[in-house]
This record gives sequence, C-alpha cells and structure tokens, in this order.
Amino acid sequence: MKSNQPLNSEKVFRPANLDELDALAAQTAEGVTYVAGATDLLVQEERWKSARILVDLTAVKALHATLEVRENGVLIGAAVPLSRLIRHPLIRERLPILVETCRQIGSVQIQNRASLGGNIANASPAGDTLPVLSVLEAELRIGPRQNGEFEKLSLDQVMLGPGQTSLNGNRYIAQIFIPFPPRDAFWYFRKVGQRQALAISKVSLAVLGKKKEEKIEEIRICPGSVTPQIVRAQKTESLLRGQPLTEERIEKARAAIECEVSPITDIRSTTEYRRRITGELLREALYLWLRN
Amino acid sequence: MEIEFKVNGENVKIDVSPKKRLLDILREDLNLTGTKEGCGKGECGACTVLFNGERVNSCLVPALQLPGSSVVTVEGLRRWKSYPAIERAYVEHGAVQCGFCMTGFAMSTVALLKEQTFPLSREEIKWGLGGNLCRCTGYSKILDAVEEISHRDDILEQVHEDWQHEI
Repeated sequence: MKSNQPLNSEKVFRPANLDELDALAAQTAEGVTYVAGATDLLVQEERWKSARILVDLTAVKALHATLEVRENGVLIGAAVPLSRLIRHPLIRERLPILVETCRQIGSVQIQNRASLGGNIANASPAGDTLPVLSVLEAELRIGPRQNGEFEKLSLDQVMLGPGQTSLNGNRYIAQIFIPFPPRDAFWYFRKVGQRQALAISKVSLAVLGKKKEEKIEEIRICPGSVTPQIVRAQKTESLLRGQPLTEERIEKARAAIECEVSPITDIRSTTEYRRRITGELLREALYLWLRN
Repeated sequence: MEIEFKVNGENVKIDVSPKKRLLDILREDLNLTGTKEGCGKGECGACTVLFNGERVNSCLVPALQLPGSSVVTVEGLRRWKSYPAIERAYVEHGAVQCGFCMTGFAMSTVALLKEQTFPLSREEIKWGLGGNLCRCTGYSKILDAVEEISHRDDILEQVHEDWQHEI
C-alpha cells in the first residue's frame, strides 16, 4: 500500500534571527540538521539523504556575519566563511596561525563556504582548524541560549571523536571566541597531505609558544589527524615549559611526543608514519623557533 | 520549495526540492549547461560559479540556501566586457584542450583577478587556481595565460568595473 506522504517530505527553516533559531531548536522534538557552508554535509550522502528537517544557519546574521574584534580577542560567528577570516586585516595581524590554516583548507571555492563551526560540528579528527583552535584555547558558545546566555565550552568538551559531538538535543555552535596570543608569540602550523590543495591531512601539528628571558614560558602543542579526539600533547608541553630551548631539549621533545601520541591507521596513512611525522613536525617547529 | 533568486542578472522563480544542488538547477531547470559536473564533491572546480559575488562549487550549494541570492555562471560571464581578453589569453597560450574544465577555470580566473592585489606571482596564481583541476592540457599553459592577464592593468580595471555592474 502506498503512503500518502511524499517520500522526500523535507521541512526547511531559515530563521531570521537568534530568537527564531532558539525557539526552533527548543520546540522541535525531532533532530534537526543544521546547514552552514554544506561543504562536508553534501558529500556525506547517507547523512544528507536522511536529513528531514533542515535549518539554514547562513540565514542567521549572528552566526553568518558576526566578526567582532575586541581588545583581547575576536568573536566569530560559527557559520562565517573562512575566506572572511583570511581577508580580515586584524585577524591576519593577530591570529596568523588561524589565517594560514584556513588558507590551507580545501580551495578558495571551499573557503568561501566552509566555516569554523562546520569544521567543529563535522567532528573529523582531520579537521584542520581543530588543533589550531585547541592551541588558541578557543571558547565555543553553544545555543540555544538559556536565560539569554550561550553555554561556553572548550573544543574538547564538544568534539568527542570521529563524527561525535556533545551537541545533542538540537544544540548548535553559535559563535567562537578566540583570545589573541601575545604579539611576540611563536606559532607554527603544518599539514602533511597528498597534495597542497584539496587534500585531507594525514598528519598536522599546531604549536603556539612564548619565551621569557630565554626560557619557554608557555607552550601549547596539538597534533591533528592522528587521534580520534583532538588532544594537546600535555606531557611533551610540560617537558618544555619553563626550560631553555636548546637542541638537546628539542630532540627530547621529539622523542617524547612520539611516545605520547597513539595514532590510528586508516585509508590515508599508518600508525608508524603518523608517529614519526608528528615527531618530525615538532622538531621542525622548535628548530624554527630556536633560530628566529 | 519555491525559490526566487537572480541568475546572470535576471530574476528566476522555480519550484524544486530543497536538497537539489545549484549545479543541477542550473543545468536541468534553467538549461544553463556551461557549468559542468566533474567530481560532484567540491574537489575539481568544474562547476564553479559566483554565488553572492564569491566563487563556490555549485555542486555543494543546496537549493534551500538560494532564496534571495545572486548567481553568475559562465553564460553571464561571457557578456562581461573583460571576458574576450581573458578568453583570448587562454586560447593564445594553448591553455584549452578538451575544454571541459574551462568554464570553471574562467570563473576562478575572474574571481582571482578581483580578489588579489597585483601583479600576481606564479605561486599566488597556483594557490588561487588550486581548486580547479585540469586532466588533459596541463597546468603550465593555464598558468602562463593567467600570469599574462594579471599583468595587464586594462583587463584588471575592466574586471573590477564589470564586477560592480554584474554581481
């Protein structure tokens, strides 16, 4: 017997503002599919086909257009296209690590659509902005708002593993606050993939550091694409923190991070390759810091 | 769902599934077949169009995001005053063989000329065209063509002028 319901009866919502979005998130019993730049969503055929309630986040200005530079950092709408960040003079000046990372994602066509919120919500361990947001200690603002306030969470509270986030019950990423590192901070991001454009990373590494009187005052190290969750290499960080940066210390750090990470083997690379390259990338980063 | 948007400067009203890709709307509903499908996954750039003045892969834009937007395809680009000079450069450098990727390259070329400060270095051109794949001509001739265009102030000025009129 044929159903009277059309097979593909999708519902589409394009909320005009945050209040409409929050009401929709709170009042819809069924799970909704949030759509931002759609660059990951449309190629995940099963997920895209089965999506029944589609909510267009690019219709909401607070998510698609917010780019507020403050004294201590920048507040970025979760659906703001990466190319806007790449072109923004103050973000280029204060967050070069983020701009360089965004430039290495996909292609200009992708950067014109893809967003930080999408990269986080897609929750791929190979999401290139994730290690960078981790070392920058970005703060994620999660909706719908409770008593007018977004919930503030860190990246590791949201991204739990491949395709897994804590964003259940129609919660969404609204905005991302990124504190500015000191102007003289050392930064490094490198991704290793099959080719430069449009390649998914095999391994990546983000490093942010600050020296004080020839000693490492602060260092944050986060590998990407190697583990299911995005986690900083805290043991290696503590081996370096408070120490002078010397060749000997760099070699120790390389050995330490190779022990600390437990990479996966998948279609793009192997455990052994990822372990070695993570060590080599850290070595390269620290030598660059030593010599500059 | 009913969608009203602008294609090549003209208002268009269609009734399509919200999940239908812009690429398919252009080719099937609007008979604008200059935009090609290569990979359908945002990797090859053959389906590049301008969407609200930015180049995007039309295979990754769902219909539900189209209402109120403005799209320019190669059919629209052909009417731009700057277009003949760009076409001539590609032809003179032998940068077109089978031509399948060419409409995507043309869209990316005007977008690159608009986006960047000039003149472009070879590396900047490579980065700017990194989202377009060519499987037969090879890239040297394409890069030669775009490098020449990027040194021509008259073409650049015309691209900027066209941009204001056509987007």
